[in-house]
Amino acid sequence: MSESFAPTVPLESIGSCFEGILPASVCSCSREGMPNLTALSIVHRLDGNHVGLSFQFFNKTRKNIQENPRTQVVVVSPETADQYRLDLQYLRTETEGPAFDRMKIRLDAVASQSGMSHVFKLRGVDIYEVLDCRPVSSEIRAETARKTEQLRELESFTEQLDACEDLDSLLSTALEALSALFGHQHSFVMFPDEAGKRLYTGVSHGFEHSGVGSEVFIGEGMFGIAAQRHSVVRITNLTRDMLLARAIRSGIERRGEEGMLEKEIALPGLPNVQSQLVLPLLARKKLLGLLCLQSETPGRFLESDERVMRITARHLAASMANAMRAVPAEHKVVPVHSGQGALSTICSVVKHYKSDDSIFVDDMYLIKGIPGRLFWKLLQAFVGSGRAAFTNKEIRLDASLGLPDIKDNLETRLILLRRRLDERCEFMRLIPAGRGRLHLEVHRGLTLEELS
Amino acid sequence: MKRAKSPVSITAELKAFLESGASVLVGTRDSGLVPEITRAWGPRVSRDRRSISLCIAVASGGRTLDNVRDNGRVAATFALPTNYKAVQLWGRCIETTQPNRQDLFAIQEHRDLFAHLNEGIGVPRPFVEGLWQRELTESPVMVKIRFVVEQVFDQTPGPDAGSRL
Repeated sequence: MSESFAPTVPLESIGSCFEGILPASVCSCSREGMPNLTALSIVHRLDGNHVGLSFQFFNKTRKNIQENPRTQVVVVSPETADQYRLDLQYLRTETEGPAFDRMKIRLDAVASQSGMSHVFKLRGVDIYEVLDCRPVSSEIRAETARKTEQLRELESFTEQLDACEDLDSLLSTALEALSALFGHQHSFVMFPDEAGKRLYTGVSHGFEHSGVGSEVFIGEGMFGIAAQRHSVVRITNLTRDMLLARAIRSGIERRGEEGMLEKEIALPGLPNVQSQLVLPLLARKKLLGLLCLQSETPGRFLESDERVMRITARHLAASMANAMRAVPAEHKVVPVHSGQGALSTICSVVKHYKSDDSIFVDDMYLIKGIPGRLFWKLLQAFVGSGRAAFTNKEIRLDASLGLPDIKDNLETRLILLRRRLDERCEFMRLIPAGRGRLHLEVHRGLTLEELS
Repeated sequence: MKRAKSPVSITAELKAFLESGASVLVGTRDSGLVPEITRAWGPRVSRDRRSISLCIAVASGGRTLDNVRDNGRVAATFALPTNYKAVQLWGRCIETTQPNRQDLFAIQEHRDLFAHLNEGIGVPRPFVEGLWQRELTESPVMVKIRFVVEQVFDQTPGPDAGSRL
């Protein structure tokens, strides 16, 4: 192995050049002496002396590096537009390992989102030794990358989470703290459904429309891939990634090979999202949800941000697992009756469609599926006997609900139901009353109709 | 020694693309087959459509100029930032000279078009201007290289990337 040599510009001082925010270029040269240029969507910095380039297609670069290992790459700083030349020596191609896995998850996520999982395939990672890294202009002086340890913010984040008593407040607090402490203004948490087939948005922060209830399939798109593989997916310039994907798509369509293509999947969240960081919330390797951060600024989530957010996601997942496990102390439910609040003279009609458990309030869709079934049960008790207080435990044990094994998911379903009510219904609320209790608040007369 | 390939005639459609404000990079190599990349500006296709000229900043393109004077081998890519449509030309340098007034006009026009295209995908103009301003502060001198085009390749990412046009 060759001895490590310090490049003129240390790679760590220009870390943002290796984030895929702006394209790079590689020049190789054949044995016969013909140079060849190709664009690269990302150059991966592996350590202070090595970079990795993805190998997806057999092309001229591929042929040239087998004949002549000397290549050059030019990267561009997304902050300053400064350019740097990296003189490289091809060493080997890896088809497994951490660098390969990291590149594969990013590629697979973009491929799936753009409907091209049969087209984008990572064959390997070409590993190069960096012989030197030089600024293209001698006027350029690389500045030391900013330190982003953010220990103080992390401490405050964990403190705030530790003070939360239930899952709902824990998630709201977490998203608010991510905005206030780290400046991540747009975030949401998705939960897996009972069948492990879909993810649905349960809580969000910083969006004009909350998007609560929106769904994606596990295994499809950036979110679905992150959930399926329990991996972080970080995208630094979505416009560029999608332009590139569409260019490839057009080429395939021109060849009449549309059969290789799937549908492009719309992303939930910000309409003009440029940067995205999706972190699995894992407790003892079990997926509790996804923490999703979005920004309209390219390059908003760098490697250093990912490192910090991995810590917050781990702490959030552990806190969620605790909140979901916590069995409230046995207590008698004090029946709270609808008569306690002043009922309006206005009456509303709530319809329940048994076929999909969808609920409509005055013909406006509210929710469907398991949370719909749960809500219908609560409404029947409320209208039938005037009861307004319930416990999570009784819902869990209620055989008449015919619920699947949703021990862990009940809380997240209730959060979704609560948020949908907050958003779409001004006269009904489901209020957490602490220690696994719920209070249904209704300010109108209700007529219930069950339909097939 | 291999005989030089016969020049390719640049079609009107290709000329329009090459002069449309694409990002232009030039790849060369030295006598030890070590490659060098540099950015180029102001592409102008010759009247006989057999050659193309590009301008390179001396401040950042010193090795490139040495290389083309040494062996003449040139690869140049033209890529639109808006849709990734790209073409690569392979050729042989036949001239390095000082840019004339039309060349300087072509440089300015190219930079304006390139900045405008980037603005369309959300990249602010001052950022794009950074790509050439650093080298101008060091030295404003540009050198024109002219090369005959021997091969043209589709370089748009996708299944046809690398195929001959």
